[in-house]
Amino acid sequence: MPQAITVTSALAVAWTAFALLVWLYGDSPLLVMKLMFEGTWGTAYGAGQVLFKATPLLCTGIAVDLALRAGLFNIGCEGQLAVASLAVAVVGARTGALPSLLALPLLLLVAAVAGGAWALVPALLRARFGAHEVIATIMMNRIADAVIGALMGAGLAVAASVRTQDIARSAHMPRLDVLVPAFRGSAASLALVLAVLLAFGSQWALRRTRVGREITLVGQNAVACAAAHIPVPRRLALALVLSGACAGLASTGTVLGYKGYYEIGLGAGAGFGGLAVALLGRSSALGLVLAALFFGTLQQGGLAINAHVPREVVDVLQGVVIIAVSIGDPRVRAMLTGLTGAEATP
Amino acid sequence: MTVANASGRDAVAALRLAGIHKRFGELWAVRGADLEVRTGAIHAVVGENGAGKSTLLKIAAGILAPDEGEVWTFGERPARYDARRAQAAGVAMVQQHFALFDGLTALENIILGAEPTRAGGRLDLATAAQRAARVFEQLGASVPLHAKVGTLGVGDKQRLEIARVLFRDARVIILDEPTAILTPGEVGTLYLTLRRLASEGRAVVVVTHKLDEVDAHADVVTVMRRGETRGTRPVARGADVARLAGELIGGEPLPGLRAEAGPLGETRLAVRSLVSGRALQGVTLEVRAGEIVGIAGVLGNGQSELIRVLGGVLSADAGEVVAGRIEVVHEDRQTAGLVLDSTVEENVVLGELRQFTHGGLVDDTEVRAAAVARIDRFAIRPADPRLPARALSGGNQQKIVLARALAREPDVLVVAHPTRGVDLVAAHAIHEQILAAAARGTAVLLIGADLTELRCLCRRILVMVRGRIVAAFPPSTDDDTLGAAMLGGKVTAAS
Amino acid sequence: MSGSVLVTLGTETVRMTVPYACAALGGIWSEKSGVVNIALEGMLLASALGAVALEIATGSPLVGLAGAVVVGGLFGAAHAWFVRRGVDAIVSGIALNLIAMGGTRFLLRALYGSSSNSPAIPGFRGGATGSTSAIALVAETLSDPLTLLAVVALASTALALARTRLGIQLRAAGEDAAAAASLGLHVARLRLTAVTIGGAIAGIGGAALAFDQHEFQSGLSGGRGFIALAAVIVSGWRPGRAVLACAAFALLDATQIVFQGHSRASHDLVTTLPYVATLLTLAALGRRRRASG
Repeated sequence: MPQAITVTSALAVAWTAFALLVWLYGDSPLLVMKLMFEGTWGTAYGAGQVLFKATPLLCTGIAVDLALRAGLFNIGCEGQLAVASLAVAVVGARTGALPSLLALPLLLLVAAVAGGAWALVPALLRARFGAHEVIATIMMNRIADAVIGALMGAGLAVAASVRTQDIARSAHMPRLDVLVPAFRGSAASLALVLAVLLAFGSQWALRRTRVGREITLVGQNAVACAAAHIPVPRRLALALVLSGACAGLASTGTVLGYKGYYEIGLGAGAGFGGLAVALLGRSSALGLVLAALFFGTLQQGGLAINAHVPREVVDVLQGVVIIAVSIGDPRVRAMLTGLTGAEATP
Repeated sequence: MTVANASGRDAVAALRLAGIHKRFGELWAVRGADLEVRTGAIHAVVGENGAGKSTLLKIAAGILAPDEGEVWTFGERPARYDARRAQAAGVAMVQQHFALFDGLTALENIILGAEPTRAGGRLDLATAAQRAARVFEQLGASVPLHAKVGTLGVGDKQRLEIARVLFRDARVIILDEPTAILTPGEVGTLYLTLRRLASEGRAVVVVTHKLDEVDAHADVVTVMRRGETRGTRPVARGADVARLAGELIGGEPLPGLRAEAGPLGETRLAVRSLVSGRALQGVTLEVRAGEIVGIAGVLGNGQSELIRVLGGVLSADAGEVVAGRIEVVHEDRQTAGLVLDSTVEENVVLGELRQFTHGGLVDDTEVRAAAVARIDRFAIRPADPRLPARALSGGNQQKIVLARALAREPDVLVVAHPTRGVDLVAAHAIHEQILAAAARGTAVLLIGADLTELRCLCRRILVMVRGRIVAAFPPSTDDDTLGAAMLGGKVTAAS
Repeated sequence: MSGSVLVTLGTETVRMTVPYACAALGGIWSEKSGVVNIALEGMLLASALGAVALEIATGSPLVGLAGAVVVGGLFGAAHAWFVRRGVDAIVSGIALNLIAMGGTRFLLRALYGSSSNSPAIPGFRGGATGSTSAIALVAETLSDPLTLLAVVALASTALALARTRLGIQLRAAGEDAAAAASLGLHVARLRLTAVTIGGAIAGIGGAALAFDQHEFQSGLSGGRGFIALAAVIVSGWRPGRAVLACAAFALLDATQIVFQGHSRASHDLVTTLPYVATLLTLAALGRRRRASG
């Protein structure tokens, strides 16, 4: 129940902030809200677009949540996602000879491995040297930008552009209208189904597998676990790499399911959105899915209202929700290092 | 309010606590406690580990806020009593874990919170140094003012804490277990200082569980048991230990435990010339199967590092450790022993999930069965495996950690301060388990600051000074010899 | 290399160091008091917009500068307040960055109807720098009010942390908050003060960015906040060394501008140097911590 209160009050704060910003801009909050609804859940196309936008958010949300369980902050989803997107686009362009049934699983693997590999450096730094993964993953984000830019310039990009060549036919992820014809025309793909499976699967694995349990225990008290012979550095590294792999999978919907190529900047913002989803989703598979849908709605809604109110209002809302949901969040507070300590301090 | 004291003069109590209640989560640490402290005397607050003494005095110093009750200082009752108001009222506390900052110099530590300043908030270090020098004169000892505290030893750190208290000209000085880190000789010196401070018109409160110190040095004693104060009375110098012991336990005295004198097996733990960093400078020792060997020594001479090397957490630079399977019960059970937010069940099988895992998945029925068996064998109460570990008392928490270590049937058990913060009944049970483990052939290395505990359980007591084992004694050795060895002084050889 | 190229390189470096240094000093104030601050990027961005908006509104670059300082300070205060209310410092930092990035673009459209840039402002130096002689260039750079302010900020930061009551208390709070509170220090207030001062100093950097470009562009900070973060870590949270690190990173930037014409690839890889340096420092710091047990 307290969870529901936290989430509800966070949403209430978000709505207030939204109304305030719209009103300051000179428009009517209720009108804009109506437009946002019409542009999202009001039509099948809009709903499909919401699902499309929610897909990478769900993957990165799972990624951040997984890391949080181990007591780690993966701020590197942006970089992991970008690297995986490039990898998937490049490999996808070369799978012409394979049937979809082989190409797609292969590409999923590539996405996961690429994302995981990009998280490997911070993971090793944490495991071997105890280096703070927050700084390391932030640095890897910036390095990713540079490396991708360099690679694109060095030949991966189609001449005189900032995009890769198209992927092969077999590499395309089928659109969602294969399952639900109403979504025809929207960009939502089966990647969404994948993401939802990943959400439930990851939460299940954390609870039922030995490694998953150990990761959670390490997140609660790494020192005690080390004393009990749990290989803490290895679990931390594993959690971070798996987290990166999930972030990498976020590329599938956008590259394989929609664009069919990678261009610089594609998918940006899904990394930080993942943090919002993880915090709002509060470590439950259903919560993560709902949170991803919520932020997906905001993002699509932002496009719909852009003529009236700048769509960046949605980014501001994302930040506001993150704060609102974290104020008094006991799980996040448990990770704080020495805040006020003594109770008598006013 | 005024209260007449024994000599008939009116005197306001320097410190008065009335009806204090304090709770941490589900546990009541202090329940309806009262305390009255006067100037001019050394007032001891005694109780076994876990009786609530530290909590009560932290409330007196404003460091913790009580759930109920009142704090009066010199007849005044400040609203919202906190550390700052306490300081303003002249109350200061030297805590068990020093409130010292490694990154600041000794002088900066002393003046922190009461800094003399010039215009614009700039520190007046010259005045500060002068006043600090005067305080050191009062103390009869000194500490290098410009050294970073991180480089100082434990004894210097305690002197710094006391210097800070005097720098603030505290009228009520509270010390929490100050002698845990001192050798028997240094204890005497400390009490001389405290006596002098008391005679200057200050109130001195010492929180301790060492009854012989109370008997020898304190004027007034308050007994605490299970969070309640059980009365205050003058100390009958030289004749009080037995009576106090009775008051502490409040019931039948527990049967004395004696270490078995059975046959010993082969050597299970051999440490040779172990070197690590600056803390360990060549430790050599041996423990045989069935033997309980104790290590005594002033805290800070490498004991923690030795434990960590044996536990595989810290690496050695030189030397070797030859042992079978080692299980280590670390000093601080809350940070190094338990995952407090997890259940008793998860804690009692922590790190052993592999044996209950089939095909990557954990079999919860097996886990439950194993957990219940261990809870039963070690009498962990309450016996519900689903409770969060946080909800159990210190003694039962320690039992969980011990149960886990012993369930692995190690060749060597290294246990540090097993009964710190544990009530007497649980401590007794823990001692029984350690003796039983030794009887089964486990080699036990017991590291403790409590000489009574070491004497009661060990076949041999080693003394550790500055990272080396310097002497070995039989448990019957007297305090003075042990104390001298702990200081690194000359020792007569003993086997 | 000719003398004039060296001079250009030098003055460009000094010019580009200012925003890095101000942000880094801001980060140090915060971290020393025990509050992790990864919102330096957002602070630079928001305060830059503040500077531009106020100069456009009042015509005075001084008011613009004041505006930047106030916005930066408010950002810092917000961060400290959230952390006090139980929001993890990392989470708060990310949220503030998001709010800054989205909010500045929102305001850009709201105030000036553009989604990319604002109207131009003269700043403290009107128009383009047309100086030709080396001496004039150096004089201009060194006499720029923002450069001078940055130097003052460095000196006062170092002095305040080491020699004032505020400095010694906030350092204690940063090292061990519980112990500090038990001595009667007001930890929450110290942290609020420190992070706000830090934000205000970072605001100077934002103003420098804006006045340098003579307008506000979307995404103006361009990752400089993260470079400043790198400098803070690489320098071990020491003000003087952090500014030196900032100067080194600024030199990298300046070199690329002055010696344009390299291939895109090597340009990109050179920009990763600060980040790689930070990763190496993290490893070294960690190893040292391990060794001392």
